[in-house]
Amino acid sequence: MKKTASKNVIIDASRIITEALVQSGADVFIGYPITPSNLFYKYAKERFAEFLAGPDEISVIQWMSGYAAAGKIPVTATAFPGLALMAESINMAYMMELPMVIVVTQRLGPSTGSATAGAQGDLKFIDGIISGGFPLPVFSPSSFCDAWKLANQAVKTAVQLRTPVILLTSKEMVMTQKSFDLNNLETITKVNFEKPKDVEEYLPYKQTISKVPPFFPLGNDKVQTRFNSSTHSEDGLIEKGTANSLANTQRLKEKFETRIVEYTHYELEEEPNAEALVVTWGISAEATRDVVNNLRINNKKISLLVVKTLIPIPKIIYQIIEKYNKVFFVEENLSGMYKELLFGKFTSEKIRVISSFGTNLSPAEIEKQLKN
Amino acid sequence: MKNSNQILSNIKMPFCPGCGHTVCVRSVAKTLTNLGYSPKDVVIVSDIGCSGLVDPLFETHTIHGLHGRAPALGLGVTLGLNNSNKKVIVIQGDGGATIGLQHILEAARRNVNMTLIVLNNLLYGMTGGQMSGMSTPEFKSLKQVNDTTAPYNIVNLTAEAGASFSAKVTEISKFDTILNEAITSKGFSLVEMASLCTSHGLKKVSALKNMLGESVVYKNDNPVGISIKNNSASLFNSLQYFTPRVDSILKKPLGIIIAGSAGGGVQTAAKILAQAAILAGLNATMKGEYPITVGTGFSVAEVILSKQQIHYTGLEKPHVVLAVTNEGFKKVADKIEKNTVVYTDKSMETLYKTEPFTKLAGKKGAALSAVAYWLNETKLFPVDLLLKVINGHKNEVHLEKAINSVTLETVIA
Repeated sequence: MKKTASKNVIIDASRIITEALVQSGADVFIGYPITPSNLFYKYAKERFAEFLAGPDEISVIQWMSGYAAAGKIPVTATAFPGLALMAESINMAYMMELPMVIVVTQRLGPSTGSATAGAQGDLKFIDGIISGGFPLPVFSPSSFCDAWKLANQAVKTAVQLRTPVILLTSKEMVMTQKSFDLNNLETITKVNFEKPKDVEEYLPYKQTISKVPPFFPLGNDKVQTRFNSSTHSEDGLIEKGTANSLANTQRLKEKFETRIVEYTHYELEEEPNAEALVVTWGISAEATRDVVNNLRINNKKISLLVVKTLIPIPKIIYQIIEKYNKVFFVEENLSGMYKELLFGKFTSEKIRVISSFGTNLSPAEIEKQLKN
Repeated sequence: MKNSNQILSNIKMPFCPGCGHTVCVRSVAKTLTNLGYSPKDVVIVSDIGCSGLVDPLFETHTIHGLHGRAPALGLGVTLGLNNSNKKVIVIQGDGGATIGLQHILEAARRNVNMTLIVLNNLLYGMTGGQMSGMSTPEFKSLKQVNDTTAPYNIVNLTAEAGASFSAKVTEISKFDTILNEAITSKGFSLVEMASLCTSHGLKKVSALKNMLGESVVYKNDNPVGISIKNNSASLFNSLQYFTPRVDSILKKPLGIIIAGSAGGGVQTAAKILAQAAILAGLNATMKGEYPITVGTGFSVAEVILSKQQIHYTGLEKPHVVLAVTNEGFKKVADKIEKNTVVYTDKSMETLYKTEPFTKLAGKKGAALSAVAYWLNETKLFPVDLLLKVINGHKNEVHLEKAINSVTLETVIA
């Protein structure tokens, strides 16, 4: 068998994600520059067929929503200060059921914090960003291969479920250059909108088995379509408190639950008779991999779970955790945000958090806290 | 029975008796009909407030957004459609225009091909008649609001920003004519339409006209704003491939910090080292740190080299520090431990081993010169690999000089 020639390069995850988004079918990048998402802005300008510089982050999501309603797949990249400004407009896009991908590069907060310091501190804000307890899909890459795959998954989910999707990264992941063989990246297929079948009985927010209404863009010549940010019924018109309009709003939650298996991503390395399970996500996974490998060399039996679909929470994550008597959550924030997502503020002997704030969570520090 | 080309739906107007919005909506529908628009060629973008109730009144495509953001949403729809046969009309009130003024100016500045209709009834109607940014001092005085602040003059503002067409119309008899001109204009058109609020504001058109003044029209001959499309190629095409040529003697992961000053080629030196390491069969990571004022101050780069795959890219305790300026050294000095190998420039006053990197290679070449020197000392892999990496680089001559300066010097010594 002929050996594939290596394609070793020095590369960062911003480049990998931008390329993956375009190959997945994203049409337009609309952005407002912010550290540490700078490289996305730079690469997007070079790579996207269409690039727009917005005057602020509210405009960015509004413009993206306009593009999405016109049948395009828009992308942006930001950090917490920008995301906070976007919050209301993301709710709008969510309610209108418009596909788009928002890359969020985490940095140290609160507020402006330290723009060039890494962190994993935005998860809980994102978990609550949609008013009313609705889930906004969040994928978080833990490696360059993940960055590629999950960028593709983000576009797929955005289009297939008609929703904004967040790709949650961190400064260290997207700005550090690493040697990498491009052969490790699988071929990506372009995502297309599914063409609606029953044009005759078309309703913009029709209840269907899949819970995802058929999509016709604004300006199409076949059917009149309506998008609506306020509580609305199947016909896309404002309706307050009726069974139809409330069912339509609740459908927004149900559509994610119905198809969650299709977009559940995690990495599980189970060690038979393991003493503990280490759960981690995003950039912390890299240091944790080093720790787990080292502990195994020293005959410690440790299992590793790297979660990549953070929101909604797939049931399988609870099922895996339930099997262990001791579970450590490793993440770069003060309180252990992913742990809190799963178990709230409750702490016990079984569940512990290994965290850091303002510094990289190093393998040495993780190992030290694991041993304590 | 509904006519397939009917713009206005048969739904009863939802506005209060005598509300000016009813007149405005009828005028918009009549103008579009007279211009021959098919409903599917029109997108109505609505805002929040009483003006946001217009969606069901139109048989066109509709999209109902947030308070004040409809002009930005409409801009996205217009550029997303990219079709001059489709007409995007945004309708909002004076409250929406106040909160979203930036969006209006941006659409006007770009002269995007859309029409914005601001129904100005001088107040926030839906929330109880509060004053808006477009309430006039005369109206505020009438409502016994002690505030003489001048209103936003959005007609002047949009005209100044570059809109093709900006008009204020305070006489109902002129509504159709002005709208016709706005909708047929190429580029951004704004029509501020006087609108009565019989519940909270004025009840007579003549009184409203007294508050808002005469109708005005401004025109610009600016190009229509479009989004530029690129013929893009893969971001991977511009990357350089590095196929291992030799096997480095490195056994354990090694962390190197290169410290210097802005403009001293520190980041370039680090990247060249990382790339050359791949040629030596190693994995490498590289990241830079510098102040937000990138043109001045320190410049530090961290490089990790390893035979094994590198997961964690932090570098708390470097094995090697190569410092070529005092400000760079100061930034990393607290990371130096007893076992750290440190090389500094001869111009610096340190207790560590010094070499004349700056003297030999100049300020811009000192960092790379230090890298070459250290490699030559350790024999981690051949210095020649640095030369292979810079082959074809836009600054190849300069970089080659920096690499060779110190190695030649060492040989001579």
